[in-house]
This record gives sequence, C-alpha cells and structure tokens, in this order.
Amino acid sequence: MLNCQKATKLLSESLDRPLPLYQRMLLRMHVWMCRFCSRFEKQLLFMRQIFRHYEKQLSKDHPSPDSASLSPEARARIKKVLQEEESSSG
Amino acid sequence: MVSEQNVLEPETRVDGHGDFLYRYALSRVRDSGAAEDLVQETFLAALKSRENFTGQSSERTWLVGILKHKIIDYFRKVSRERPSSDMEAGEDFTERFFDKKGMWKSDTAPSEWQMDPAAVMEQKELAKTLEDCMAKLPARLSHAFQLVEMDEIKTDEVCKVLNITATNLWVMLYRARMSLKRCLETNWFHKSSEKEK
Repeated sequence: MLNCQKATKLLSESLDRPLPLYQRMLLRMHVWMCRFCSRFEKQLLFMRQIFRHYEKQLSKDHPSPDSASLSPEARARIKKVLQEEESSSG
Repeated sequence: MVSEQNVLEPETRVDGHGDFLYRYALSRVRDSGAAEDLVQETFLAALKSRENFTGQSSERTWLVGILKHKIIDYFRKVSRERPSSDMEAGEDFTERFFDKKGMWKSDTAPSEWQMDPAAVMEQKELAKTLEDCMAKLPARLSHAFQLVEMDEIKTDEVCKVLNITATNLWVMLYRARMSLKRCLETNWFHKSSEKEK
C-alpha cells in the first residue's frame, strides 16, 4: 500500500508519463481513500492550467504603469549593436 | 547599398517591441542583466534571419518565438555551469509535509481550493503571486518546471536541455510542484477564502 508521500510522488510523475499499471492501481486506491491526496491531485492539475494560462498571458503582454521596461542605457546599447551588425553585413 | 529603410528598421523594432520582449524575458529568467542580453540576442537573430519572416504571423509573435528559443538556450547554458551535485537542489519535503509514516501532517495538508478557472485566472494579481512563488524556487528547479509547464516541452527533450536523467527530472519537478503548491495555497487560496468572509 502507498503512503501519502509516495502517492504525491507518483501523482507528480503521472503528469509527465503514464505510470505502470500496478502503480496506477495502487495510486487510484490510495487517492480514492485519502481526501488530502485527492485534493492534491486536483491541485496539481489546476496548477498546470494556471501556469499554461500565465504563459499565454505573458505572450500577449498587457502592461500596466508599473510594468518593467528596458532601461534607456540598455535600449541604446541594443540599438547600437544592431546598427553595427547592420553596417558590417552591409 | 544600404537604403534608409534598412537603417531605420532595427531601431524601430527595438522601440516597438523591446519593452515587451524584456518583460517576457524578465518573467522567465528573473535577472535583469540576463533579460537584457536575451532581448539583444533576439533582435540580432531577427536581423540576421529577416528573410525567414514570411509575415504569416505578426512580427511580435515571430520575435517572441525567437526569444523563447533563446531562453531555452539560456537554461541549457546555466545547467552546464554548475556541478552535477547541484542538480537535485531544492528542499527535501519529507519532514515538512509528512509524518514518520509518510502521511500528511495536519497543518500542511492540502486545503480546499476555490478552483473556478474564471474566478482565479482572470485576476491580474495572480500573475504577481505566481512570479513570487516561482522566484522562491532554486533556479534549476524553476527552469525544469518552466520547460515542462510553460514551454510544454516533452520529458526527453527537457532532459537533453538540462543535461539530466529522467529520474533527476521527476525529483526536480516533484520538489518544484510541492513548493509552488504550498506557496500558492498560503499566498493566494487561503487569502481568497478570507476575502469571502
């Protein structure tokens, strides 16, 4: 039988690869009987959704007044590097 | 012959997309110097391969695609800079969450989360909480987690990028997920339920 520690490890692994049948059966038994690990399973899946959503939001970019931005020095430096590259490749 | 159009183009791109790319890079690598370098590399790569931009997506989408590849390269580079004993960095949760029999301790056992996607994901403050929680992870755990959960790269590819075995990766992801779960629980889901009272 699994304890919660082993179950949480298997639950995490199951997100990234299919578990062998025997481990899957033991895991389902434990989760069925343990309300904490049942919650943990749902939370792992929800976290996956949240982080994927977060990445998509990052790609879209909705800046607010206090969002980070390139410093003037960095901006100037990057432009200079690009100009040098542009003129050297003619 | 360099036309005026070509000379202006790189600068216009930096003005148009520089801040956006910087914000994206900063969220992923948490280091302003590294983020600036990544933005620079992205614009350089775009300049060198501008024939490859067919205009089928927006210019911004194309640039972000280049940036994401540069970020993966950055994770690859960082993972090779440190000795392999560092590989399984991160807290061993055994004692914090589980008792001697391996069962959840009552004070850190999972609580009920309000998991309505609309209620949770639409809130702008969540992004800040996610970033703060990710920032608490050791860099290597954060990188592994990001490659799997944000770049959605398959396990064997992630292992190649980070130069680790699949077993190493499972351990790192487990530690990252346990840490993030607890952090979110404490800083977001518990606070939400307090607001409702």
